Amino acid sequence: MVSAQIVKTCLEELTSISKVEFCVQDPSGALFSMTGGAEMTQNDVVASFASSSVDSQIMGNKYLLKIQEEDETVYILTAIGTGDYTLMIAKIAVSELRNLMTAYREKYDRNNFFQNLLLDNLLLVDIHNRARKLHINFAVPRAIILAEIESESDASASDLLASIFTTHNGDYLTEVDENSVIIIKAVENENAYDQVQESAQIAADMLNTEAMLKVRVAYGTIVSDLKNISKSYKEARMAMDVGKIFYAERRVISYNELGIGRLIYQLPSNLCNVFIQEVFGENIPYDLDNETLSTINTFFENNLNVSETSRKLFIHRNTLVYRIEKLQKSTGLDIRVFDDALKFKIALMVMNYLKYLENKDY
Amino acid sequence: MASLSLEHVYKKYPNGFEAVKDFNLDIADKEFIIFVGPSGCGKSTTLRMIAGLEDISQGTLKIDGKVMNDVEPKDRDIAMVFQNYALYPHMTVYDNMAFGLKLRKVPKDEIDKMVRNAAKILDLTQLLDRKPKALSGGQRQRVAMGRAIVRNPKVFLMDEPLSNLDAKLRVQMRSEIAKLHQRLGTTIIYVTHDQTEAMTLGTRIVVMKDGVIQQVDTPQHLYDDPCNLFVAGFMGSPQMNFIDAVVKVTGDQVALQVAGEDIVLPASKAAAVKPYDGKTVVMGIRPENLSDHEDDLKAAKATLTSKVNVRELLGAEVFLYFDIADTPMIARVDPRTSAQVGDQVKFAVDVEKIHVFDKETEKVITN
Repeated sequence: MVSAQIVKTCLEELTSISKVEFCVQDPSGALFSMTGGAEMTQNDVVASFASSSVDSQIMGNKYLLKIQEEDETVYILTAIGTGDYTLMIAKIAVSELRNLMTAYREKYDRNNFFQNLLLDNLLLVDIHNRARKLHINFAVPRAIILAEIESESDASASDLLASIFTTHNGDYLTEVDENSVIIIKAVENENAYDQVQESAQIAADMLNTEAMLKVRVAYGTIVSDLKNISKSYKEARMAMDVGKIFYAERRVISYNELGIGRLIYQLPSNLCNVFIQEVFGENIPYDLDNETLSTINTFFENNLNVSETSRKLFIHRNTLVYRIEKLQKSTGLDIRVFDDALKFKIALMVMNYLKYLENKDY
Repeated sequence: MASLSLEHVYKKYPNGFEAVKDFNLDIADKEFIIFVGPSGCGKSTTLRMIAGLEDISQGTLKIDGKVMNDVEPKDRDIAMVFQNYALYPHMTVYDNMAFGLKLRKVPKDEIDKMVRNAAKILDLTQLLDRKPKALSGGQRQRVAMGRAIVRNPKVFLMDEPLSNLDAKLRVQMRSEIAKLHQRLGTTIIYVTHDQTEAMTLGTRIVVMKDGVIQQVDTPQHLYDDPCNLFVAGFMGSPQMNFIDAVVKVTGDQVALQVAGEDIVLPASKAAAVKPYDGKTVVMGIRPENLSDHEDDLKAAKATLTSKVNVRELLGAEVFLYFDIADTPMIARVDPRTSAQVGDQVKFAVDVEKIHVFDKETEKVITN
């Protein structure tokens, strides 16, 4: 429902142009909004006018007009003044407020529609009917871009994104929880992933630079019509989770680029535990120190090349060999050997995943 | 206006990935400093840590002497311009610049003052009522800059702000940013992977690779005195020629043996290279220090001869591509050169401009 403050702003603007003062009351006479120089009409007068069949009424120096929504009187507008001029301005005010309410209802309904659509709460037939009613094209390729605000919840995020991704371009925004904004992005065709990636980058950069918010953005695949939007949303959610666990350094992550993280994410925790037991036995390296972790990662990044890794780490080759052998003693894996390196790499990822599950449980 | 200090700053992600390692840097007030390096070298991550958009894993960030590690981004008094800017399509230039301030609930009259002031600085006053679609690419970029300027911040952070523009516009905007720095007189930290942008804009340049600072220096010093092979290769276009050479010491004379030719080093360089007698080192020579001009050849203390494979005329200069001992080389020569593809050409080597690097550590032996 449109807020009293917005109605007041609208009426005040009209008053400043026309010099006519206004008061808006509900059909029982309770005050909804009024301009500075206006006065309320008595409750019983408003109630009796609301229940009458006429659209307008003159009472002394006041005009009373009904504001209707779908044939139902929702408010009574009082315009202070006499003559045709006041009546004309009063009619303009009624028209303005009615349009404002329609726009708000449509926005609210769209929001509600998309929320239900994303959460799979709608039947296929309802999707068709409601989309038509809300003037939303059914068969447009779309993808879900999910922006998760890392800092405390901030309304400016959705205001900002709504100013970039406008309904005019076929994009819609909605929210299903406190910390994330969902962009339903219309794209040119089902292969327009560059367009989705660019939009996701823009969302991240704009939230960073304009709202100064820490943000992580993920997006799902492009779907051909509205009924599959929830699939793209689930993919975006999964990309967000997988990104946090395995690719923390990336700010924008695509469902299509989750790599081995996607596989591990879908494994049940007991299977992961069995794998870790199998790889490390009793010597599970739960907390590798930073030096060891950095050594291992650099060694992997440099394709298991000892000389290159030691150069990158600014350490002597023998120091690197010592560190690798120390790791071998504690874990039984020699990461200079491809098979062991592969096992170790996957095991590290699985352990990250298990840590994530542990923290999630709490 | 502010000074910044980064002391032993690290960025480590929970998955063990280290994006920035032991980053130490003092940035003076009003300095225009450039972070440059290939993608993935940690320059943007460092910028984001300064902005507060990434947590600092270890180390200290100070702005004007105050520790900022735990200060929220919006409270750091900084403004950012990033690569993927978007203008609000249905808003005028004025509203685009004012939007961020409105989000921060700045009073209307103050917003008006700030926007008009920024518009004046950026020469956008005449365009304040226009919508983005009625603007050229350069004007749009200026509006994006304006959104940062209206905040009147202590520090500007720019992350590849020009990389989405075409080459011509980029050159134009480069000079506009330089002018802007002079007009605003504020500290700017600018991230780019483009060494030309770095050389032309920065008062100092920080060259990064694999999350580690390689060298911090003025553009001229970086070009003339690179500290290692990476910096030498990264700064300059076309890049420095590198070729393996064997050090040959005969009495006090130190020469680099390249493709059967002895290039005798001047005394100023010989002492540093002498301990490498018999070892293979890397000789570096910039394309402009190879010449086929008659006068240079007459005065040359060393020459290299090869067949020209490709000739590129750029108007004011000609690039000649050739191989020495199977290593591709480039010479930047006078456009009046008579050398054509297939010609056997003798190049004068300016021995004073030779750089020598340790082949194993890649560190410079002499510049």
